Amino acid sequence: MESNWVLTSCGMCYVGCGIRVRVDDGVVTGIEGDPNHPQNRGNMCAKGKAGLMNLYNPHRLKTPLKRTNPKKGLHEDPKWQEISWEEALSTITERLGAIREDPKKLYVQAWEVIGDNFYWLLALGSAFGTPHLMGNASATCGKVIHPVEFFSGGGFHQQPDLHYCKYLVLVGTQFAIAARGAFNHILRDMAEARARGMKLVVVDPVGGFAASKADEWVPIRPGTDSAFALGMLHVLLNEAGIYDEKFLQHRTNAAYLVGPHGRYLRDPVSGKPLIYDAADRSAKIFDDPAVKEPAIAGSYDFEGLKARPSFELLREHVRQYPPEKVEEITSVPAKTIRRIAREFGEAVSIGATMMLDGVELPSRPACVDWAKGPQGHKHGFHQSWALKLINIVTGAVNVPGGILSTAAAGKRPFLWWPDGGTDGLLEDGGHILPLPHPKAFPGRTPTRPIRMDLAELFPLAPHFHTLLPITSEDPARWGLDYRIEVMLHAPTNSLLGSFGDIKMVERFYQTIPFIFGFGIEINETNLFDDIVLPFPTYLERYDFVAGTGLLIPHCGKDDWFWQVRQPAVKPPEGIRYPQEVIMEIAARLGILDDFYRLLNHAFRMKEPYTLEAGKRYSVTEVIDRMARCWFGEERGLEWFQENGLVRIPRDVEEAYIGPFIHARLPVYLEHFLQRGEELKEVTDGMGLKWDFSDYVPLPEWLPCPAYDAVKRDGFDLIAVHFKFPYVYGSYGNDNPWIDELCEKTGAYGVLIHSDVAKAKGIADGDEVWLESPVEKVRAKAKVTQCIHPQVVGIGGHFGHWAPGMPIAQGKGVNFNALLPTEMERIDKISTALDHCVEVRVYK
Amino acid sequence: MMTEETSTVAVRVRFMGDLRAVIGKRDQTMTLPQGSTVGDLFASLCRSYGEPFVSRVFSKAGALQHYVVVFVNGKNIKEAGGLGTRLEESEIEIVMLPMFEGG
Ligand code: SF4
Repeated sequence: MESNWVLTSCGMCYVGCGIRVRVDDGVVTGIEGDPNHPQNRGNMCAKGKAGLMNLYNPHRLKTPLKRTNPKKGLHEDPKWQEISWEEALSTITERLGAIREDPKKLYVQAWEVIGDNFYWLLALGSAFGTPHLMGNASATCGKVIHPVEFFSGGGFHQQPDLHYCKYLVLVGTQFAIAARGAFNHILRDMAEARARGMKLVVVDPVGGFAASKADEWVPIRPGTDSAFALGMLHVLLNEAGIYDEKFLQHRTNAAYLVGPHGRYLRDPVSGKPLIYDAADRSAKIFDDPAVKEPAIAGSYDFEGLKARPSFELLREHVRQYPPEKVEEITSVPAKTIRRIAREFGEAVSIGATMMLDGVELPSRPACVDWAKGPQGHKHGFHQSWALKLINIVTGAVNVPGGILSTAAAGKRPFLWWPDGGTDGLLEDGGHILPLPHPKAFPGRTPTRPIRMDLAELFPLAPHFHTLLPITSEDPARWGLDYRIEVMLHAPTNSLLGSFGDIKMVERFYQTIPFIFGFGIEINETNLFDDIVLPFPTYLERYDFVAGTGLLIPHCGKDDWFWQVRQPAVKPPEGIRYPQEVIMEIAARLGILDDFYRLLNHAFRMKEPYTLEAGKRYSVTEVIDRMARCWFGEERGLEWFQENGLVRIPRDVEEAYIGPFIHARLPVYLEHFLQRGEELKEVTDGMGLKWDFSDYVPLPEWLPCPAYDAVKRDGFDLIAVHFKFPYVYGSYGNDNPWIDELCEKTGAYGVLIHSDVAKAKGIADGDEVWLESPVEKVRAKAKVTQCIHPQVVGIGGHFGHWAPGMPIAQGKGVNFNALLPTEMERIDKISTALDHCVEVRVYK
Repeated sequence: MMTEETSTVAVRVRFMGDLRAVIGKRDQTMTLPQGSTVGDLFASLCRSYGEPFVSRVFSKAGALQHYVVVFVNGKNIKEAGGLGTRLEESEIEIVMLPMFEGG
């Protein structure tokens, strides 16, 4: 028997842990974590271990298929017919060719960040010329965290610095316990931090995995995170007087003077914001080197205009949120809010410093972290932004112990660094690839939409796909005179996971005359395909970008890395490498050279490694060029195949960028006012009713529709979603090992508080009806005390019905299907779809 | 005295991303005075296509939105002189890339 171990990268989720795959006579027989890999340090999770069952899933797709049943629907049998690659590709080329002169009719769902496919599909869509490129999967996750993080931290995502943190508050996230990038690395950091004595407070409607490890679980009513944050801010700023004055004065816009109508007072010549220098009692331009003591409090007169520093406005603003009022909103007792705020304020140790590798740095060993939960609301931006402000006012941003920005800066193999721009504020996020990062500052000028996703009406948002099911109902209502005619999708199950109300999504997909995409197994999205192309599993692929280590590696001083994914085994005959399929489509459409140009740009390709116009390449040739271009002539694909990865040390500046960024962070979002006014002109001109309540410079708590709805129409509970550490999206659900785990842990059940269950006569394990305004499903009740009494908790990404997923079929609930999808439920800043929904539960 | 031939440059501009939908065509040949820059080319396009073009391309006067990438004869203008890059007989691509990634 011939046995060997292959070094490659796990792809059972986006993290991209390093793995060693045992192959016996061409058959994968085991997967282990690679102890030399910084992303996971030898650890693996249950999903990763179960990956070989997906590889040998008997229901895998191994040849292109075309539908013969023209009727499309959620439960419509496509009546597949096997076809050749030639027939598949020529049909695809013909259908794309038909919209060549009006390329906006193409919609590309590119999300599949396990490997290269994501970047390659976006490049293909861009070369084709369509603006409809979806680079995200969830209807909520990522809508706020990335734009907020890029303008207030500098990187893609955030991570508490578990190396030095002593007091951590997690709000609506199971960070380093059940979720998040670099999962298997930060998991161990979290365990060590807790063992060291870090206090962990988890604020969440669901008492899940994170709560089970916490010192304190604080159940909160869904959609009230901003009220909780504003209450904490009030205690810190007004009751305890705890804030980092020096940091606010010199590293934020706290001192910028705000005049009438909420706008900065500006120097008439330069147009730059003014501050008041208390040292000589005069107004100066904020970046005047003579400034000594920028005032962040007080009120000043300038030629008859009253002006106050923006921090003063923030401090006054949060007075509206005393803990007693916040208790009414959130259900969190006032004394708990007060105590947590004070404990946090003490732990954050304002003024403290520490030495690291001979460099003196501020030390702020306390922070608040948030992720998916707060984003998924009607006012998701401000729900989240208020939380971030706690870290900013205490100076706990990108310094030891505080909140850190992931992948914001680096020196190897290139230099990339966040930078300031408009008004001296952080404007250019740091990103290893020279691609436009999601950002909300300074935003874009709104205009009448041309795009089907109404991007033009969301000038501060980076993602827009949640709008598509809404506009497709009646494009003319939005001034649009066309429809999406072709959809190309990655193997991700977007129909199930990227939108809400499943009947509306069905109607949206039904409006698209030609849908093609990739599939590993026939999932619910593939049921709408006209042509489906077989896709290799991660154990059969080459990828230059293997997972999200380039965006969400572990933070701090531990080594960074680059790994190239290589196949452990060959893909079954009939499956082609997706990169080669994409290049073939580009070539047949006559856009291969444009595609190369965009790929060369995206991957910083330089001579002599650039992809040359007129040439054809195999996937291995492309990856070999990329690897040599980035890491030197001797480190091509073969080198990576033998060695697995390059370890890249990080110095103090890269690990703790706070003191090394030449840009200020915002505490006051002046530009929201301008964008709101501009947008109003556009929406008025279009005769649209629009909600501008979020276009304010300081965060407010505003209720979600579900918050009020539970008091009427017979809805008495709010359903929310949560994650399991052994389920990622819906991929991998058709896996007997994961299924067994889910069965054994009751993951398919919905969480109902024991008092509520008793009142409703529901016992643990009972079948119940779960009804939202748009969907009614059967569910199994899991009765527990570990949920807020007004909440129903639905975990995972279940509720499959596709016949191609027989193991997953009929298990659990598809949470997204319950979500009403209408403008009223969309965050007007970020486009997040409200992820809390009023429901009734009964037997 | 300059002849007509030498006093102007002809450039072919190709649009990708949102701009193709704004302009309504895939490409356009333009004639500009000799010595014109990419900035002059944009000024001319702004005049022709008005607010829908301007608002998508510029974040403020003289500053391209971060998602707009311009190639002149295959070279990114960021590495060649930005909006001040001189135009010769050029093939220009103006690409609006998606704000990618996330969630
Ligand atoms: S965290 Fe993700 S990449 Fe890592 S082992 Fe688990 S499934 Fe694989």
